[in-house]
Amino acid sequence: MATRTIGSGQVGRSVPRLEGAAKVTGRADYVHNIRLPKMLVGKIFRSTVAHGRIKSLNVSAAKALPGVYRVVTIDDIKTVIPNPFYGPAFHDQPILADGKVHFVGEPVAVVLATDPHIAEEAASLIEVDYEELPAVFDEVEAMTSKAVVHDELKPAGTFPDLKHLKGKKDTNIALDFHLRRGDPNKAFAAADHVFEHTFRSQQVLHVPLEPFVSAAELTETGLTIHTASQSPSFVRIEISRLLGWPENKVRVKVPYLGGGFGAKLYIKLEALVAALTLLVRRPVKISLTMEEQFYTLTKHAATFRIKSAVKNGKITGRDCEVWWNGGAYADIGPRITQKSGFTAPGPYDIDNVSIDSYSLYTNLTPAGALRGFGIPQLVWAYESHTDMMARALRLDPIEFRRNNILRDGRAQATGTQMKDAAVEQVLDRLALRMNWTAPFERGTGPVKKGRGIAVGFKASISPTTSIAIVNVAADGSVTLYCSTVDMGQGSDTANAQFVAEVLNVPAESVKVVHPDTDVTPYDMATLGSRSLYHMGNAVRLAAEDAKAKLSALAREVGVPEGSNVPVAELFQKKYKMQAGNIIGTGSYIPNYVPPDANGLTPEATPFWMVGGTGAEVEVDTETGHVRVTKMISVADVGRPVNPRIVETQLSGAATMQFGFTMQEKIELDGGQITNASFADYKIPSIVDIPRDMQNEAVESEQGTGPFGAKGVGESGTFGVSPAIANAIEDACGVRLTELPLTAEKVYRALREAQGRPLED
Amino acid sequence: MRTINFTLNGEQVSAHVAEHQSIVEILRDRFDLFGARESCAQGLCGCCTVLVDGTAVSGCLYLAAFANGKSITTVEGLATNGKLTPIQEAFLEVGASQCGFCTPGFVLMAGQLLEAHPDPDDDDIRHYLSGNLCRCAAYPEIIAAVKLAAGRLKAGTT
Amino acid sequence: MTPFELAEPKTLKEAVALLDADDPTIRPIAGGTALMLMMKAGVFRPSKLVSLSAIKDMSSIETVNGELKVGATTPLAVLERSDVVRKHAGVIIKTLRTLSNIRVRNVATVGGALAHADPHMDLPPVLIALGARVVVQGKSGERAIPVADLFAGYFETVLVKDELISSLIVPAQNGRRAAYLKCTTRAVHDWPALGVAVSVAADGNAIKDASIVVSAATEKPGRLVGAEKAAQGTVDDAGWRRAGEAAAEEAELITDGQGSAAYKKELVRVYVARALRAALGAQ
Repeated sequence: MATRTIGSGQVGRSVPRLEGAAKVTGRADYVHNIRLPKMLVGKIFRSTVAHGRIKSLNVSAAKALPGVYRVVTIDDIKTVIPNPFYGPAFHDQPILADGKVHFVGEPVAVVLATDPHIAEEAASLIEVDYEELPAVFDEVEAMTSKAVVHDELKPAGTFPDLKHLKGKKDTNIALDFHLRRGDPNKAFAAADHVFEHTFRSQQVLHVPLEPFVSAAELTETGLTIHTASQSPSFVRIEISRLLGWPENKVRVKVPYLGGGFGAKLYIKLEALVAALTLLVRRPVKISLTMEEQFYTLTKHAATFRIKSAVKNGKITGRDCEVWWNGGAYADIGPRITQKSGFTAPGPYDIDNVSIDSYSLYTNLTPAGALRGFGIPQLVWAYESHTDMMARALRLDPIEFRRNNILRDGRAQATGTQMKDAAVEQVLDRLALRMNWTAPFERGTGPVKKGRGIAVGFKASISPTTSIAIVNVAADGSVTLYCSTVDMGQGSDTANAQFVAEVLNVPAESVKVVHPDTDVTPYDMATLGSRSLYHMGNAVRLAAEDAKAKLSALAREVGVPEGSNVPVAELFQKKYKMQAGNIIGTGSYIPNYVPPDANGLTPEATPFWMVGGTGAEVEVDTETGHVRVTKMISVADVGRPVNPRIVETQLSGAATMQFGFTMQEKIELDGGQITNASFADYKIPSIVDIPRDMQNEAVESEQGTGPFGAKGVGESGTFGVSPAIANAIEDACGVRLTELPLTAEKVYRALREAQGRPLED
Repeated sequence: MRTINFTLNGEQVSAHVAEHQSIVEILRDRFDLFGARESCAQGLCGCCTVLVDGTAVSGCLYLAAFANGKSITTVEGLATNGKLTPIQEAFLEVGASQCGFCTPGFVLMAGQLLEAHPDPDDDDIRHYLSGNLCRCAAYPEIIAAVKLAAGRLKAGTT
Repeated sequence: MTPFELAEPKTLKEAVALLDADDPTIRPIAGGTALMLMMKAGVFRPSKLVSLSAIKDMSSIETVNGELKVGATTPLAVLERSDVVRKHAGVIIKTLRTLSNIRVRNVATVGGALAHADPHMDLPPVLIALGARVVVQGKSGERAIPVADLFAGYFETVLVKDELISSLIVPAQNGRRAAYLKCTTRAVHDWPALGVAVSVAADGNAIKDASIVVSAATEKPGRLVGAEKAAQGTVDDAGWRRAGEAAAEEAELITDGQGSAAYKKELVRVYVARALRAALGAQ
């Protein structure tokens, strides 16, 4: 990817990651490495039923095992946290099961010991007797099912659009979002063609290679939590709320994360380790196993019914109904339902739109954010649908898109005008890189070749705040304090580049202090590709503030404007020795207008992310095996801050979604996950990925972004699934509407198309 | 419980271990070496890779008791006096790590590859690294780093 | 994992003496990769493990009277790199390259790969097709068991709890050609959804005699006698496909996370034909 530096040359340069050496020598700091004096480790005992009332819980055998320090249940937790329910949208999740369990794998009790093997053994001795209750697993069934997951809904009060759900009973709907613009019914009545399809995305999960891990310890001044979290500020606020303490008594420290992808947001193990530490007055650490990640958080399975009216090759109306499978606790699901829900019609210029997006409770592992915040599920549907329409209308799929694409200045479904969203450039570059207009070799024999493209977009989560501090020491060295979590996306390096650009120092010389809520200021969270933009703006403002203060210092000590006097000399002149600091601060919150009763708003998002994918495939029509031979990711990332990291983010995101497209699926048997390990849940390895992977950031600039930049972590995911499904149909004429695109599904579809379906 | 004596990153060490403990637990708890880390716990991801007498094994599936009398090398034992190996240098330069959790395993397996195939082609690289997983999926960069390191090692320059 | 005793006998005889036919909590351990998985998952809680690592002379590879003899504690990686094996039955080396990963092959042993009796192993069908046998040491002496008769069912062998596999013997192949095709359905590298091993005696492309073994999709690896008959006398693709048809009819297939029985039947049909073609080196 080409280097486009600006100004002092720090932004736009492929600065090697600041922590690169620590990572290649195995010495990078993770919570995994933490051991505290007199620390106990906790092993969680989990539910084996999907929905049930706990009739009895017998921990006596576990307690009696030599080496066990204590066995803890919700009754113990309540002695330190009387109301032990947490969550970002609903206060629905108990620290340990409270009378009822709502999914298989829900934490019911914890064994504490110094030896993890003993804790594990003791946990296996705990016995529970359940009265099983009817359960619901499918998101569409959950709309009307007699099985109701929660007795009463408990919105957190943070979000105004959830307030009306307070105290509601006999429902699984955790949010219903509706948008109406124009007159879709009229558009459908006047259409030349009406198309309607339903698509499903399966339940998958993040599986960062560093599983969830948190530790807590009591200190003189309160509680310190060391946690692999993407949201240290949220953890502090939520733990303070649970304990009824002021924020400054809770300290949250986050070193590097061994991957996050949206899993390590909000509260995961933090409330539990905090409560345990308060109970036993000793440090407690809980490290989940890979298997336990399957019982912690997943991506939403979703069903999307999409209907379009087409007149003269233009899409004139669109009807979207989306059901999000939120699992047993809401986590951030309701925000996905709304914030991603409003983009369900896709990056198309459609005057008449209706959207109904539902967040549903089911008796599955809770679902939350995963690299795209719901967008990949939507793009999967609307870009498959787009190709199916183009095919039916005998139009070239790229031309059909070009005729309908949402261009800058036009209004998106919410009514917000598009700005700095390079949808068309992404499409053009994809077409060019795919050599779309050239003849395409289709293969001989049983192996058929095909190609497909797809393009999607995403709004940033709004309104959210980021604050940063830049500290210039008396020798001129620079330190950045911010609560953005570097989980592999390279935020330390990018933020150092922003500081360096403003203060005209090498990015490599900037020290970035990791999130520590005693030290680093508030940041909403590291999620949804928001940090480069929001924190980036705050960091730039903080650096500019420091720079202005340095200029003022220069004036104060009588150094003329524009002179080249080193910073250290300015301090020396003022303090007569190496002393003092300059502190620059920056705070950023973009404009936002909440949606009205029709879901409409003139300011839905501070910026748009655009991502497209092109795929070439080979289908073995005798077995259904699909090989993706080429995968091209093109995105609008604004100005690339660090071209090499941008490229890695694009291909990494695309590969993750490739796994969700071709391989990954949580298999269930009556609510019980049957493949909760890497032996049976296969993430992409080096031999799975396409041999030819290309990435491109189109020439673009985000006007309101720091140095023209915007988020990049998710854009590579958007188009992958539909591009591959579109390529499969192009290759062998069959259309799959449910992920993942396994060989057996392709084979069955081929047989179906031949009029001789495979018997079961 | 038993006492095992072994060479760890070139030093003679001993440890009192239980028969059911894995080598990766002992490295972490007794020797403060965190570079080999248990992740999938099934020998499939490679995060726990260590070398036993120069041969890569999954440390999470290797009983510590079996290390008695052997020589164990971890990622921390590769760089000498802060000088990175050519493979580490290449990983750093190319940007072949993102979150970094899998990186030690990839670095060690890349070492095994280049010992056996000093001039590897894409298939050799894929073959040797097929048992290591990177959820951030820096695979293209990892392949590039291995090639860069191979080139430099062959040229004798680092 | 729970505590256990670890014995490290120096001879095979001592090892056998430490085992107990009536105590399933005592088991031998060699590379330990499979056993560690079972212990970590809590499905096996041993009272005692008998390590075979200290036993000398159990990891040699040699040719004896034209037969390949491999000591049971030979690591798979050593087998994979052996020129003796390459010359004797190159199909074994090809098979090993996609068996699990390098770290596992560095420690997992030949004997362990057979005694574990996981139907999703790659070596058993190949060894069956090659007509291999194992030599088994018990308290009362040695016996030989054809690999084809070793497996009693899903994760079950015919071995008594106090018997140990001491070596594997692969007879002379006398110009027979063999191939193993591994079909995975969830990822490129995975346990096979279906394994097909074939060994043929042929004149050019004309098959005189074929051994056809399927694994992974079935409860245990086994020969398909009907398909072997159908393959006899075939000379081209049409014939090999007929053998595939016969195999699809004959194999008793299992539905699991890697695919439905109905789909696996189609895979058997295609892969048996492809395996015969591959063994013959035909296009």
